[in-house]
Formats: sequence, structure tokens, C-alpha cells
Amino acid sequence: MSRSVAVGGALRRAPLAFPILLRMRIEAAPLLLLVPTAISLGSVSVYPILDGLWLSFRNTTLATRQDRFVGWLNYRLLAGDPDFWRAWRHTLEFTAISTLAETAIGLAMALLLVEWFVGRGLVRAAMLIPWAMPTVVTSKMFGWLFDGQNGLVNWLLRSLHLISRNIDWYGSPHTALPTIIFADVWKTTPFMALLLLAGLQTIPGSLLEAARVDGANAWQSFWRVRLPMLAPVLLIAAMFRALDAFRIFDLVYVLTGGGPADSTEVLSTLTYKTLFSALEFGYGSALSTAMFATEALMALGFGILIVRSMRRQAR
Amino acid sequence: MPAVGQRRSRGQSALILAGAAAIVLWSAGPFLWQLSTSFQLDRALVSPTPSLIPHPFILQHFRNIFLVKHFQHYILNSSIVGLSTTLLCLGFGAMAAFALSRLRVRRRFGLLGLILSVSMFPQIAIVGPLYLLASRLGLLDTYTVLVVIYLALGLPLVIWVLFGYFQTIPEELDEAARIDGAGPFRILVRIIVPLSMPCLVTTGLLAFIAAWNEFMFALALTSTIEHQTVPVGIANFTNLYYVPWGDIAAASVVVTLPLVLLVLFFQRRIIEGLTQGAVKG
Amino acid sequence: MSKKESVTAVGADALSGGRPGRRAVLGGAALAGAGLLAGGRRARAAGRTELTFASAKFFGKETVAQVVESYNASQGRVHVSYVELPPPSDSTDVHQLLVQQLARRNGSPDVFTQDVIWIAEFAGAGWALPLDQEFGAEARKNYFPGVVQACTWGGKLTALPWFIDSGMLYYRTDILGATPVPETWDELVKIAQAAEKSGRARFGFLWQGKQAEVLVCDLVEFVTSNGGAILAPDGKTVLIDEPKSVAAVQFMRDTIDRYKITPEDVLSWDEEPSRRPFTAGQAVFLRNWSYVWTIAQDPKASSVVGKVGVAPLPHFPGGKSAACLGGYQYGVNASTKNRDAAIDFVGWMSSPATQLRFATSLGLAPTRPAVFDDPALARSQPFMQRLKPVFLGATPRPVTPKYAQVTLVLQSAVSRALVDGNVKQALAGAKQRISAIVSS
Repeated sequence: MSRSVAVGGALRRAPLAFPILLRMRIEAAPLLLLVPTAISLGSVSVYPILDGLWLSFRNTTLATRQDRFVGWLNYRLLAGDPDFWRAWRHTLEFTAISTLAETAIGLAMALLLVEWFVGRGLVRAAMLIPWAMPTVVTSKMFGWLFDGQNGLVNWLLRSLHLISRNIDWYGSPHTALPTIIFADVWKTTPFMALLLLAGLQTIPGSLLEAARVDGANAWQSFWRVRLPMLAPVLLIAAMFRALDAFRIFDLVYVLTGGGPADSTEVLSTLTYKTLFSALEFGYGSALSTAMFATEALMALGFGILIVRSMRRQAR
Repeated sequence: MPAVGQRRSRGQSALILAGAAAIVLWSAGPFLWQLSTSFQLDRALVSPTPSLIPHPFILQHFRNIFLVKHFQHYILNSSIVGLSTTLLCLGFGAMAAFALSRLRVRRRFGLLGLILSVSMFPQIAIVGPLYLLASRLGLLDTYTVLVVIYLALGLPLVIWVLFGYFQTIPEELDEAARIDGAGPFRILVRIIVPLSMPCLVTTGLLAFIAAWNEFMFALALTSTIEHQTVPVGIANFTNLYYVPWGDIAAASVVVTLPLVLLVLFFQRRIIEGLTQGAVKG
Repeated sequence: MSKKESVTAVGADALSGGRPGRRAVLGGAALAGAGLLAGGRRARAAGRTELTFASAKFFGKETVAQVVESYNASQGRVHVSYVELPPPSDSTDVHQLLVQQLARRNGSPDVFTQDVIWIAEFAGAGWALPLDQEFGAEARKNYFPGVVQACTWGGKLTALPWFIDSGMLYYRTDILGATPVPETWDELVKIAQAAEKSGRARFGFLWQGKQAEVLVCDLVEFVTSNGGAILAPDGKTVLIDEPKSVAAVQFMRDTIDRYKITPEDVLSWDEEPSRRPFTAGQAVFLRNWSYVWTIAQDPKASSVVGKVGVAPLPHFPGGKSAACLGGYQYGVNASTKNRDAAIDFVGWMSSPATQLRFATSLGLAPTRPAVFDDPALARSQPFMQRLKPVFLGATPRPVTPKYAQVTLVLQSAVSRALVDGNVKQALAGAKQRISAIVSS
């Protein structure tokens, strides 16, 4: 929509008076309000994204000084690369499980913390600790907590007689990825819980009161009143969480480096190794573009659900 | 104060308190272990029976991080960058969410999707080109470059969440204000923002913590103690291979506790105060 | 605790650890900050040539910044600004930051430090200046031949030696008692099993099996000590699936599976997680770098003070003890605009006097055999002196500009072999992929 056309139209239609200026301000307002965001996002993303796309069509490898246009070669190699598909599967597995777990546990926490009880403020603050701790510390801490021989978790489990022998959490391909998922769930659930709590707090008390008067019990009140009103926030939070989980890097790199036997290799660690260890910038850029494409599909799926839930709420 | 008309059974109360205890144990448990470790010798970390009570109790680690490693500089840098990022994020984000929600912007979900796509590119792929850009603009090792990047990383979430929230605020309020002659900006500041305080505080908190904990860009773009942030500072505690576990635990305690107190303050004063008095249809 | 007490508390032979002076660190940091601002514009401070020097972070009783400051104070022609990179434990971060800067090819930083495994890579990319002219055959004779070999690529010397490190065998003197230190792996297995059975130790032998660079370091030691190799000296023939190499990897797996002297957890352990049980007194033998010695002697971090000994790693029958070569070396930026100044600086940093200083104050072992015999070193680092024969036998990892890709393949294949036991299959697959990489 052209701003000048809009203003011109307003000028022609409106009587001469200060409402013209108001209409001009209203027509121009969206652009003015969006400009800071546009500049901020554009300055950081345009160059890198274009540069990445450009590189993905070349075979740029710094160590050998290769740099030629190769068309779709990188993408064809990617399609046939078992390492890529394995990392892709691990990443999807990680994303799905951790997002679901964090949403479920976060919702449970939020439902509890919206109720009043003595010391609620303290519990709300304590809940945030995992998210507030620096990531560099959390990774190392979980590495040590789940250490197979001297870690606290094994010691606790054995003291409670739940296991008889130490479990090799990070050294066995069967338990490595689940352990990393557990660490991520611990760390990131507060993110979901906080957003869901804010969402719950803004549900009008009158609605809940009306439901109570109608004889609804706690479960019905949750399912019929709270959940639908919470749906947009829940879906938005879950979407962001899923997109972040897809790009998980720190935890995996510090705890297992992608091992053992590639059992925890995710797309970010694979891309990092390709870009910064092997210095294959062409192939690495194709990898990141593939990541982006998958995330775009995920976002589209979530987006449709979000729009639908908002429309339903407006009714 | 209990919500209006709420009466709980004994069983329900017990369940709630048990749940609260579980949350505290789950969330704060590892942190308490860190707290205990920060007062113990590194050697105690591998003792056959771990003990939560430090024995002997030492303050060496806290002394180390402040006197030897100058941790206070990192904290200052992180605070400056975090605060600037959060304020700008909330400001720009509220404006954009308001525009998308209230004013008739065509194809707004397309715009929202575009905004979202910025946070879909893997950070590792962005680091290289941004480093080049920053070095050409002479912005390496400055607060500016970090704030600009963290702002861009945090805006999508803030905009989406605020958009979702603004959609639930009835447009009648806007209409009433407009009839009184208020322009969009005044509607935003005087009406929408006060109503959205819980949401703003929440997203602000999340944006602050994200900026506080970000590591990859801070590592690549800053190189001196004048501008390096807390995560880079902690990563630099390591010498050769040895991980000074007690020092790291002390640093994480020093860094996490203020954040928790901040949350406590915001929870008590602002959110609870406002939701008590919120007027919504 | 007074400063004097804190220094001595770190142990009689302080290889690393200790507390750098507060003013010095601030001074160094401020200078680095100023240098970064000035470096890009080539500001001339009082007519001196400005250089930037980027190095991974090391510290001990002093910092690298302080050593650089001494150079600045010792002459008036050149001024060096020091840029600090992350510590070498985060070597991929150091690599990433160096690559980011060097790829710009604008002459910054003028001088840098490179891990020994990056030398061929940086040379192949054309980022390192050949130094043969300035440091001819005579000069090179003063360094360890293994290090000089690692600093040479394509017949040209593209790095100047700084410090050396290698893997070594740590053992518990109290558990071994009168038993001689094992020279072959079989002897080690016997001692370890006996100690486990008698209950004197929980683990027999600890090493690093995490799917990371350190796995390749351990691999090189096992394979070379059997007379095998990963890559032939020509850089093109892959030997990882030859019988001797396969037998060595099979032994690595056997320590966990057959002899049961190593816990399966080593498959996720790198330097620190494997060091901790040893210094807590739970293991008889440990393979690790030289840094463990200082920690083992520090009562605040170790429960086995005074009960630890060091020796060269064992070998297989018919083989020789092998130690994996590590350490950072200097490099000069090929695009530097201040070639003479850079050469002067790098020559000073690599001089015998400065190497001695790095050894006594930062615990970084010198790459000049002559410095080892210096009485000053004997006084402050007697342990380091004993390492001279270990360092003389140091073996480099495969030397090829594509090493970064080769190591990723090796890490994946060996980790897989160790996890599922199909050693031959995994190594055959590795040979295929590595051949494709080095021949392209």
C-alpha cells in the first residue's frame, strides 16, 4: 500500500480539519512503528542470510583455496549424505521430545503457580533458576552430575537402591541423547512456564467464576475455559521453543561432542564442525540452508495452528 | 490473597504444597549443589560420599573470581548490554506488535512470518558474516555490536508474544480513546502498555536472560575484558585443560542469585499488583 | 592467604596455576583493548611499528601479555599489541577466531599462535608466511627435530616453535611399590588387573575416548607404539586399516571389554573427566598431558599428593614408546604489512631466554633441547627436565592441510569401533573416506 495514495485519498475524502492530520498519522503510523524493528532485524540478517545462500552454491573450502560456482552440487551431496540425515533425525527427535516435555511440565508448573499459596513468590523465583544459570555452567554441571563413575545422579540412584550398578550416561549410545534431552528440559522448562504463567494470569477472573457458578470442577474449568484462552500463547511459546531446540548446540558440543559413535550428532554440531573445523564454507552453508528450510516448514505448521486458535478466540 | 470465590479442599491444598516443594527441589536442587561446591575445595568434588555441607568451608573461590579474575568487569559488561537490549527490545517490540495488531497492516501474518524467519537461521552460520561486517564497520569489541545483535535475536519472540496478547485486548478501548482524539502512539503508551504489564515484564525478563547468557556472538565479537560478557569470562577461567570447578560454581552463584532476586522483586511488586487491579472485559 | 603462601601452595613444581598480578592483567587487557582500536588504522605511536599478536590464553605466575610487554620495553622500534583468544581447552573456538581473522587477508593479526595440527592447514590456505629465509638450517638445528618437522609443510617452514607438550603415563607409586614401571602394554594390563582385584584401585587404566580431537591423540599413541601409522609420510597413502593399526585399536577396545581395566565411561571422557578419578586416588594408570602433574601435587585439588610418578607410555612388543605431539607454535601472517618487525618479534619470542621464561613462569615446556639443560629450569621445574626424553620421542598427528576433515572421520570411525567392537569394519570405512579426502 502506498502511503502517499492513502494520504491523498484521506485528504480528498475528509473534511478540512484536524481529523486529516489524524488520518495521516493513522495511515503512516504502521510504517513508523515498524521501522525500528525492520532496521534492527534487517541489519543483522540480510547480509548473513544472502551470504550464506550465495556460498551454498559454491565449493568454497578455505584450506585448499577452492572457490568455484558449483550450482546445486552441495545440495545433491547433502541429499545423499548419511551423516546429514542421521543428524537430521537426531535433531528432530531431540526437538519433538524436549518441546513436548517442556510444554507439559511447564504447563503443570504454571497451573500450580497461578494458585495462591504461602511462599508463592519464592517458588516462582526458584522456578526460574535453571533458565537464569549461565549456559556455560549448566553444560559442565550436567556433565559432572551425570558422570558415569563419580556423578551425583548415579550416587543418588544407588543410595535409593533404584539401580545396582552405575549407568554410563554419556558413554553409551543408548543413554547419551536422552541424558542431553533431560538436561535441556531442566534448563528450558522455566521459559515455557513463565510464558504460560503470564498467559494464565491474564485470563479474566470473571470467566472462571462463571464456570464455577455453572458447576464446573477444576478439570472442566481447565479444559473448557483456560486451555482455549491459553492456546495462542501456548502455541507461540511452543513454536519458539521448538525452533530453538532445533538449533541446539552448546549442550551437545560440551557434553558429548556428537558422540559416542555419532549417536548425539545434531545438525548444529555437524554444521559447526563443517564450517569451523573443516573450513568447508560452501557445504556448511548448504547445511545451514537445509536447517533453515526444515525450520520454515515447522514454523508454517505452527503458524497455521496459531492463526486458527486466535480466530477461535476472537469468536 | 486468594482469588475471589476460591475454596480448596484439604486434599487440593496438600497437592499444591507438594507440587510447590517438587518445583523448588527440581529447580533449585542443582543450584544448591553449586552453592555448596563454591565453598569447598576442588578435591571434595570427587569424594566417595558427596556432602552438601562444605567441610572445610573456604572463601577462596569467591576471592579468586573477584580479585584475580576480575569477574566484576564481566558482570558490569553483561549488565549494560542486557539492560540496553531489554529496553530497546521492549520498546521496538511493543511498537511493532501494536502496529501489527491494531492498525490495518496488509498481510500482517506474512510480516510476522518474516520477522520469525530471522530467528530460524542457525547462529553458527551467521557468526562468520557478521564478524566480517562488524570488523569493516569498526564495531568489533564494543557494546554496540552486541546490543544490535541481541536486539535482533530477541525481537521476534517479544513481537509474537505481545502480538498474541494485544489481540486479546478489545478494540473498543482503542475506539474510545480515538474518539477522545488520541493518536496511535498515545493509545499505545497510555492504554495498551499498562494493560500488558505482566506480558511486558515476562518477555523483558526472558530477553534480559537471553542476552545475559548468550555465548557464541560474545566470544566471536569481543576480545578484551572491557567488553566481554559473563559467559565468556567464565569460559576463560579454564587454564590449559584444568577446569577450576570451585571458581566456576562461585561465579555461577554470583551471577544467578541477583537474577532470581530481580524476578522476586518484579513478581511481588509489579505483576501481582497489576493483575489485582486489572480491568478487563 | 598471602601472595607468597598462595604461590607455594600450588605445589613445589608449579607447572601452571598461580595468580598473575592484578595490575599486570589489567595493564595487559587495557593495552590489548587499545591495540585493537589502533591496530586497524595502523596508528603510529611515537614512530614505532605497530604489530598485533593473537594468542590462545595461557597463564601461570605471569601472563603472555606480560612477556609481550617485556619485548615492548626492551626495544624502541616495534610495539606489539596483544589480543587474547580463548584457552587451548576450547581449541575449536581458538581455531574459529583465528580463521575468521586470517581469512580476511588484511594483515591482522601480524603474528599469531597456532596449534600444531593447524600448521599444515594454515600453510595450505596461504595464511602463514614461509620463514625459511630468516630461520635457515642452522637456526632450525636448535629445536627438537619432531617439532621442526611438524612446523614444515610443503618443504617450507611455516611456523616457529614455541612450546611442546605430549601425552605421558601417570602412575601411582604407592600401588606399584617395587614393581617396575610397565614398558609394554601387556605389563600394564597385568599390573592394572592385579590392583583392581586386590581392591587397591577402582580402575586400572584411564584414557580419553570422547569423540573429540583428544581421541585421535590417544589413537596416534596406541597405533604408533605398535609400529603402525594412520597416514604415510607422503600424505596420500592411508594406513589406518593395516594389521598393526587395527591391532592397536582392538587393544583400546579390549581395555574396556576384555581386560576390564578401563570403565566404559572413557568413551565420553576427555582430559578433565579422566583426570579427576586419578587425582582422587581411584586409578592406577592415567594417560594424559603434562598439565596433570601440577594438579596432582596440589593438596587443594588432589588426594594423591606425592604418590604420583610419570613415565613414557608403554609400547607393544617390537614397537617403541610413542607420545602424541602437542603444543602451540608461532606463525606470521602471510599478508602482514610489517614483515621485518614481525620476524624480529617472533625471533625474540622463540629465543632461548624467552623460552626459559615461559617454562619457569607459565609452565610451557621449551622446544629447544638446550634450554632443558639450563640450571634455572632445574631449580624451578625439575619435573619438566625429566620430560626431555618423552618429548624427544613425540609423534605428530597426520600432517596434511586437510587434517581437519581427516580428524573428524577418524573420531567418528574410532568411536564407533570402540562402542560396537567392529574394529576392522569401522577402520576400513575410515580408510575409504580418508583416501577420498586426501587424494582430492
